[in-house]
Amino acid sequence: MTLLTGHGFWNPLLWLAAAAGVTVLALVVWARGRRDYTRGTDGELPFLSGEKMEGAHVGGGHLYWGFVEGLRPYVERLRLFHTGLVNDYVGWLVVILAVVFLIVLVGG
Amino acid sequence: MNLAAHAPILAIVVPLLGAFALPLWAKLHKLLRDLWLVLVAAGTAALTVLVAVQVYTAGIQVYTLGAAWPRDAVAPGGFPIRIVLAVDALSAFMGLIAALVAVVGFVYAWRYLAEDEGKTLALTLGTLLWAGMLGMAFTGDLFNLFVFFEVTSIAACGLIGYRTWSSRGPEAAFKTMVMYTVGGLFVLLAIALLYGEYGALNLAHLARLIQGTTVDRIALGLLLGGLLMKAGAVPLHMWAPDAYGEAPAQAVILLVANTQISLYALFRVLFTLYGGLADPAIGWLVVALGTLTLLVAALMAVVQMDLGRLVAFGAVSQIGYMLLGVGVGLTVIAARPAYGLVAIQGGIFHMLNDAVAIGLLFLAVGAVEKAAGNRNLGNLGGLGHDLKWTAGFFLLGSLALAGIPPLNGFASKLMIYQSSFLLSPILSALAILASILLLAVFVKAFQGAFLGPKLSRPEPVPVPMLVAMGVLALGILALGLFPNLVVRYLVMPAADALWKGRDLYLRAVLGR
Repeated sequence: MTLLTGHGFWNPLLWLAAAAGVTVLALVVWARGRRDYTRGTDGELPFLSGEKMEGAHVGGGHLYWGFVEGLRPYVERLRLFHTGLVNDYVGWLVVILAVVFLIVLVGG
Repeated sequence: MNLAAHAPILAIVVPLLGAFALPLWAKLHKLLRDLWLVLVAAGTAALTVLVAVQVYTAGIQVYTLGAAWPRDAVAPGGFPIRIVLAVDALSAFMGLIAALVAVVGFVYAWRYLAEDEGKTLALTLGTLLWAGMLGMAFTGDLFNLFVFFEVTSIAACGLIGYRTWSSRGPEAAFKTMVMYTVGGLFVLLAIALLYGEYGALNLAHLARLIQGTTVDRIALGLLLGGLLMKAGAVPLHMWAPDAYGEAPAQAVILLVANTQISLYALFRVLFTLYGGLADPAIGWLVVALGTLTLLVAALMAVVQMDLGRLVAFGAVSQIGYMLLGVGVGLTVIAARPAYGLVAIQGGIFHMLNDAVAIGLLFLAVGAVEKAAGNRNLGNLGGLGHDLKWTAGFFLLGSLALAGIPPLNGFASKLMIYQSSFLLSPILSALAILASILLLAVFVKAFQGAFLGPKLSRPEPVPVPMLVAMGVLALGILALGLFPNLVVRYLVMPAADALWKGRDLYLRAVLGR
């Protein structure tokens, strides 16, 4: 069942066994939690930055907001290349062809 | 008729003729068309499996069109002038991927496509695309490769522009058509140069003649340019998100397999045709483009709000992993054959894993679009309440694509990380970074579309669509839990065929 990966190996069944062990450990910790917990109280309501409205949804555009904003300067630069103009698409093909020629003719 | 001997050509002819007959059956009755499609798809898949079994058990299969006996590629004292099909383990592997994706796609399309939206046209073009892919995988003739390259291009563009009632589909098809045409002309020009120099088109014969002259190198540059474009390597990928985003879901998974077939053609050119002139500089070029592809596409996926385009950028990034794996192999295999081979195995294994995982994601996106009526993450939410199976399939596909153990993407990515580490730790770090980005992207997409309170009441997803997604989900689990079996029996022979099998390939065709 073991796959050799060059420097090491990978055995998914071993991983599953380890994951099962961790799950059992987590369940044991959970089972030792407080018994006086009461269901159906305010403590069960989701807390979304002070948002009390029931049914509030964190949409796709809001999740990982800080992460996405942090990457935005890099992504915006990349976005400039994605103009949607077919002329630019062909232009990039010509550029890459020039690089390839340079490598196969000069570098090779 | 000896079916086994003629299986390679029948695997191409059956879907090719079957595709053209589909509209005729549809004119009589839609049920007859569907029955015909079942017959053609089952026949083609069975023939592909038969070819693969023959290749994996008996070695390379050569089929010569028009010869007295299919294995007679060369007349005594002459050289191969007829069209030759030469199927080795890698060709058979690609044929199996195409068969899996096509059969799943047709099952999905049964209830996904509406009759009044041109279902017959989509099924015809899908079957034609399948025939073209098998032709590209099985051919041993360079000009034939170009012909099937064009067959796949025409069918693919028709599928991308399928939704003629919106302007975006035809626009994406036009852009793709321009790129495919320019790339195809590069390939044709390269073939013309080689034909002018050596007077031959047979791949094995040319591989033996090529001496590395300036003309040979110009031809190599043109072939690389054309095939890298069709494989969707950055920065030649820009047509791909447009195309994947606009084509119907069952067609997108065929388009993904089509990019992989182009990648196969690229590897065939680098290892078999130009294998005698193995050049680390070209290996480094493939590595650089692979790294750029996986990183740029993952970064672009981060800011996508359209679920289809988000998955499309994910699909482009996976091409980067395949290029990285095989590029590392090309660079180090002469000096460190053991690691080079692992890298190539990782790249090839990732093709199968990608076809299954990204295929599942595209089908899930199609189900969301059909059920909820849109794909905008800003408007979607809570679909998991009603679309439980689709939500599960999307999550499974996302985790597999991001390389989370024990799913299938992890095994092939681990092979690529470890072997690229040998070339440079920076490459491994960038490849892992891209996987982390993809995980974040797909967790965001899953949360946005499927979790949270119910925002709408989606239509139920038809059972055939769920069955098609279920098959790919089972594939993800099976490939993830038993990667060693897949690598040993399917991937290893395919990787060996690419590197060690060059002489075998040449001998099988040329007989000496």
